[in-house]
Amino acid sequence: MPIPPRWLPLALLVLVAAWWRMHDLAARPMHADEANQAVKTGGLLETGRYAYDPSDHHGPVLYYATLPVAWVRGQRTLAALDETTLRLVPAIAGTIAVLLLAWLASPLGAWPALAAAAFLAVSPPSVYYSRDFIQETLLVAFTLALFLAARRFWRTRELRWAALAGAFYGLMQATKETAPLFALAGLIGAATIIPGQRSARDTHWPRAISIFVACALVVAAVFYSSFGTHWTGLVDAITVYGRAAGRLAAGATGHEKPWWYYLRLFGWQENGGLVFEQLGFSALALAGLVLALRKNDPLLRWAAVETTILFVAFSITPYKTPWQAIGFVPGLALLAAGAVGSLDRFPRGRFVGATVAAVVAVFLGFQSARVTGRNAADERNPYAYVHSAPDVLKFRALAQAALLAHPDRPIRVISEEYWPLPWYFRGLGNVGYWTALPEDCDGALVIASAGLAPDVRAHLHGGYTESFLGLRPGFVCVVFTPRS
Amino acid sequence: MLRLPALFLALAAVARLAAADLVPLKLTLPKPLFVGTPRPIQVANLEPGDTRHPPLMVPADAVLLSLNKPVTGSDSLPVIGELSYVTDGEKSGVEGTYVEMGPGVQWVQIDLGAPAQLAAIAVWHFHSQARVYHAVVIQVSNDPAFKKDVTTLFNNDDANADGLGKGTDFAYIETFQGRVIDAKGTNARYVRLYSDGNTSDELNHYTEVEVYGVPVK
Repeated sequence: MPIPPRWLPLALLVLVAAWWRMHDLAARPMHADEANQAVKTGGLLETGRYAYDPSDHHGPVLYYATLPVAWVRGQRTLAALDETTLRLVPAIAGTIAVLLLAWLASPLGAWPALAAAAFLAVSPPSVYYSRDFIQETLLVAFTLALFLAARRFWRTRELRWAALAGAFYGLMQATKETAPLFALAGLIGAATIIPGQRSARDTHWPRAISIFVACALVVAAVFYSSFGTHWTGLVDAITVYGRAAGRLAAGATGHEKPWWYYLRLFGWQENGGLVFEQLGFSALALAGLVLALRKNDPLLRWAAVETTILFVAFSITPYKTPWQAIGFVPGLALLAAGAVGSLDRFPRGRFVGATVAAVVAVFLGFQSARVTGRNAADERNPYAYVHSAPDVLKFRALAQAALLAHPDRPIRVISEEYWPLPWYFRGLGNVGYWTALPEDCDGALVIASAGLAPDVRAHLHGGYTESFLGLRPGFVCVVFTPRS
Repeated sequence: MLRLPALFLALAAVARLAAADLVPLKLTLPKPLFVGTPRPIQVANLEPGDTRHPPLMVPADAVLLSLNKPVTGSDSLPVIGELSYVTDGEKSGVEGTYVEMGPGVQWVQIDLGAPAQLAAIAVWHFHSQARVYHAVVIQVSNDPAFKKDVTTLFNNDDANADGLGKGTDFAYIETFQGRVIDAKGTNARYVRLYSDGNTSDELNHYTEVEVYGVPVK
């Protein structure tokens, strides 16, 4: 019987990761954040212009990375853009991250490296946010690429790897402002293992660092300056930290949570009768952490330090969102893989280790199916954070019918909050948004928040029928449709 | 031929109701479950959350008929909970007290065991959050298949999502007070309730349904 090639299991795993991240991407309604970024991307697609906005947005890479996908899919305008195009970008990044982690984990041995990649491939937060048009998955992929390039430089002392590492750091920085924390955690992790390895007294270092910094700066500057068309973006990319620190210090972000938030996310929680847990995976990662302290395995020790720093840093920061959690997953996967791989030295240890890894991966996969399937937009799903209600999918058809019936009248959205509606109304003319009562409320369709609805009703002329649609759980909109 | 006895039965029911002493329907309400301050919802066709309705007047001998009566539904394997929760008397609304059925149009059906002159039906879908259930239709019948002699007591399905015809009743916000429907003395053994998701998700929930009436002797 022919022996299958060694790359086959990894190839199959990457296929599984790709399928899980890329199938049925348009099914889940757009989150308000996704919609906001999608409209920004649409503007870039249509006009070629983009200006970094440090107040409520992250780095520019996500928007620029969407352009080639849109072009390949024949989409040239915001109206033509769809959810699949947008979400394919993080989905591709998430799939590449699986491959990169397998490479990063290779010192653990062939099958533990495969186990690490498998844990990432089916990890609930990783799968969920690889299907979400936000920056985090790109950040994880670039971070893994940075670590790989840096390791390659460390082993070969070839400056091209330092340059590549710098370029990846530049991409990280131009993706999300938390990039320095990831790089710092990786650097401190590396510092704990360097003394035991080759001498750091290398004449290459000054040149290597210079090249790294230069490449990082060039890449980051290219994106933040919108390819040389918006130079104030460079200043904003620096001053953004001051603004963020001010908001965090004031505790006014609305996303403040207790320190144990991420522990719970990787532990066990029951919300409304649905259980969300990663206990097996976390237990293995914890075993890997203990192992890293006792065993002189450089990769495990590095992963232990890097992951602990990230976990502690994000946990002590009051601002917390579930998508930040995917930054921990590669490190946890390395530790968990190290734990199962350590069984190799026992008789039948490989069989036991592989079985344990498979069982944990199956449980993770079950959880991923839960959070990305029927419950993808369910408020009980810890990853569907302040998510839009499925009702938002009904708004566009109502708007189209209204404009058909009354082409000369506007569609008015009068609500304190209205995202993701601008995404769903893309391409429709004559749509306006008000966060307070306008003078004239009449229109082809008037969508008002329940809070503003009484005032809106009082200002309407002629007969309207009323119905109710949800914007997100607990936020009900009243839809006023003119009687024909 | 069959219409004449049915007419007599209906007339008898009306006469009985007219003759009976009417008293306010007394419901045991669960505790309010909204956490924090929900966004105010004060539109004309929504009941304000902090105002109690005038109680529905029902015959003095009307009793709770539905407690622990068998429940069937369009989703025999609910996502969360059991269909029996619909009539188990537990309406606090906390986790473990409601049944959750799949997305789209779903229904539950209560078999009262025998025909009765129905006076009122009280429904609590899910009252721990401000939400509106879509396409709520409540029908009663003596036919378990609801193919004949079906009386629609409530219908706010303005888009005919349930396929039972468009309704003109108002949509309403879920609160701990539930929704009380006047059953108007209709003679029926089976009660069926439809919905098509809600403003928070596509799922359908029932914390409790109470059917009040006078058993037919």
